[in-house]
Amino acid sequence: MENKGGRRLNVDTQSSYQLEMFENKGHISISHSHLEMGKLDGQFELEFEDECCVGPSPLIRNNSSPEIENHNESFSNAGEKCSISYMKYRVFRSLNIILFSAKINLLMPCGPAAIAVKCLTGQHGWVFLLSLLGVVPLAERLGFVTEQLAFFTGPTVGGLLNATFGNATELIISIYALKKGMIRVVQQSLLGSILSNMLLVLGCAFFCGGIVYSKKDQVFNKAAVTVNSGLLLMAVMGLLFPAVLHFTHTEIHLGKSELALSRFSSCIMLVAYASYIIFQLRGQNSSFDADTEHGESQKDENEEVQISKGEAIFWLFIVTIWISVLSEYLVDAIEGASKAWNMPIAFISVILLPIVGNAAEHASAIMFAMKDKLDISLGVAIGSSTQISMFGIPFCVVIGWIMERHMDLNFQLFETAALFITVLVVAFMLQDGTSNYFKGVMLILSYIIVAASFYVHVDPTSEENSHRN
Amino acid sequence: MESVEKMDIELNEQGLDGSPVCVKKMHLFEHIGPLAAAAQSYGPKRTHSRLLMSIYIVIFKARINVLVPFGPLAVVLHYLTGKHGWVFFFSLVGIIPLAERLGYATEQLAYYTGPTIGGLLNATFGNATEMIISIYALKNGMIRVVQQSLLGSILSNMLLVLGCAFLSGGIVHSNKDQVFNKAAAVVNSGLLLMAVMGLMFPAVLHFTHSEVQYGKSEVSLSRFSSCVMLVAYASYLFFQLKGRHNLYSPIDEEENQNDDVDSDEEDAPEITFWESIAWLAVLTAWVSILSGYLVDAIEGASEAMSMPVAFISVILLPIVGNAAEHASAIMFAMKDKLDITLGVAIGSSTQISMFLIPFCVVIGWIMGKEMDLNFQLFETASLFITVLVVAFMLQEGTANYFKGIMLILCYLIVAASFFEHIDPNSNDN
Repeated sequence: MENKGGRRLNVDTQSSYQLEMFENKGHISISHSHLEMGKLDGQFELEFEDECCVGPSPLIRNNSSPEIENHNESFSNAGEKCSISYMKYRVFRSLNIILFSAKINLLMPCGPAAIAVKCLTGQHGWVFLLSLLGVVPLAERLGFVTEQLAFFTGPTVGGLLNATFGNATELIISIYALKKGMIRVVQQSLLGSILSNMLLVLGCAFFCGGIVYSKKDQVFNKAAVTVNSGLLLMAVMGLLFPAVLHFTHTEIHLGKSELALSRFSSCIMLVAYASYIIFQLRGQNSSFDADTEHGESQKDENEEVQISKGEAIFWLFIVTIWISVLSEYLVDAIEGASKAWNMPIAFISVILLPIVGNAAEHASAIMFAMKDKLDISLGVAIGSSTQISMFGIPFCVVIGWIMERHMDLNFQLFETAALFITVLVVAFMLQDGTSNYFKGVMLILSYIIVAASFYVHVDPTSEENSHRN
Repeated sequence: MESVEKMDIELNEQGLDGSPVCVKKMHLFEHIGPLAAAAQSYGPKRTHSRLLMSIYIVIFKARINVLVPFGPLAVVLHYLTGKHGWVFFFSLVGIIPLAERLGYATEQLAYYTGPTIGGLLNATFGNATEMIISIYALKNGMIRVVQQSLLGSILSNMLLVLGCAFLSGGIVHSNKDQVFNKAAAVVNSGLLLMAVMGLMFPAVLHFTHSEVQYGKSEVSLSRFSSCVMLVAYASYLFFQLKGRHNLYSPIDEEENQNDDVDSDEEDAPEITFWESIAWLAVLTAWVSILSGYLVDAIEGASEAMSMPVAFISVILLPIVGNAAEHASAIMFAMKDKLDITLGVAIGSSTQISMFLIPFCVVIGWIMGKEMDLNFQLFETASLFITVLVVAFMLQEGTANYFKGIMLILCYLIVAASFFEHIDPNSNDN
């Protein structure tokens, strides 16, 4: 009894919290019925309440508790039904939240359809398209689950989580392509991700926000943007040196020095990114409050925890596996799709892949801009670019190093020049801290120019690769 | 007296702005003195007197028109002697006053059309001289000359004109830093960078030999990019004219001087609506004729003066073509109206890069000439670095004579580079 007393004390202090939790989840009837019971039900109450908040699985054990049979018919029935149906309910709820509550999940069937098409026919074009569409909802759900998990882990680890897994989709696709030896695809898809985040996503956000708020210029926090611009420029520098070194044929050992330089620079860039994360998390509350990667209080749409911690981890795992499976089909189908659609591989990697991969971030950035929360839009767009350039690219180089692939930072002159000029243009546009629809128009038109350039761009090295293969 | 009443009524009708204009016109007539009195007293010769008045205002009042006789002299020289050097030089000098008068006529027209269309007019015809010269060169198939003269125009506007303006303004107001509206400068810098982007992609694509169809893809990319840049310029105009007046009104003074009482010399339109249109047409025709001779004489002049064609196109042509804008920018800087100066200089550069260059590509497309945005690596690189330097200098919103000196010296470096630069492509042409 003393144990139970202790637990009862615990329960009493926690009861209000649990009541709230239960009320939030719509379990009002159950909790009220618990508290109305007298002392006899104390044991069952305690155990029930104790174990309810942990998760569905301990509830199954509770079924065999003899105390259930001591209660009223209704409650015992309700209790039995509660335990089994509660579990089912939780599973269904989980599935509902993850799978059905987002409208984007209409695209989910494209994933299995892609696999079916691949096995039935050999039509690479269709496989590519379907797997691409199938990845879109998965990427969005992955982001959602990561945010949910961030609620449980506190701001520090949550920020780290977001910083690492924010672009998990691109990373997974890149690692698959790297495994297959398609190094140019990796480089171009990462580059295209940066370009599309900086120009297309940002431009659409500025444009939509500017149209909604056409009376005034929207403002955003200059300081965070300046730091991100600086990091992007540093990344461009890291990419520029190997490219120019190789291009001017001034390496000590042609081809090898440049690879060694790339690997070394990647480690340095990873160190820089780590110090950036430390700097952000270490209490820059005044100037970086607006940065959404670490400011969960500003997210209006996710004000409450919708799934529990275990569920979040579970779904993280499932969605990641599912993305990996689809990515494999995606990467396998790229070359076939390029022939089927008569487009250069460069265009598919730089423009198509990232647009689709970033679709969810795109939508959320636009939505936040229309709500006049430009700081969050900028965090999504520019923060994502910074993450890919300072973390994603060097990380892939290191992974390539481990896998013994020749992944380097030499993105070839055209791509490097494109990135350089884009970073400059965007840095200039953002430097005064205001935005209006015209800036959005300019950014979008710049992206159209970039896309058009890549449409007529044949990658000279990829032809050498295909000859070697 | 009847004639005077008629004149009054006519004045009232023509002055769309209302009575103040009418009053000022009367004052203007009074200033002219005996000529006006003579004009008023002759009823049936009213049109004659207006014509004379018009000619007086447009042709004789500006001191720069001393150079007007050089034009006919150039034509004469072309037919009498074959000396391309002299023909080139004379037609170049002859164009200067015409360009200035063209600008004047456009401003006068802008009074009548209201700020919106006036701004549009200025935005389109502000660089009419360069446009006409370029179209002539395009017709002659001298594509490199077109590219280089437009590039040189941008460079001279951004470095030379701005530098001289900052220097003169800084010397006159040497006890303080002059300030200007940062926001407009930043927007223009952004547009210039976007134009550089549009120019860089075709150039780098061609240079890295990474086009799908060597030579052809790059032309189609140029044409597509030109259309995109024209759309961007159109939205820029739309954005400026639509109601950002609080942000850009100091710059707008350059485009419509209706609301500004500070510009002493141009308080009122001096010629009527139809006169300005007529003069516009006459001046444009005259500029076209001279441009024809100018363009024809370039290659001969280059041999005669033993200078690379590149140098003539990039440095000489624009300096002379921009002489009037140059003078007005310096004057406004000395009056501490740096916003107008910036509007003249940087606005002109933006207009050439975002409107004129794509426009020439489209005209070339229509004419069937292979004009593209690939300005070759050297020219593109010099434009890129210039835009960066100027954008950085302008971004803090202040000016002093040292910045002016820096910009002028940069221009000297650019000019020296082009003096030593042979265009590899023009030999193939």
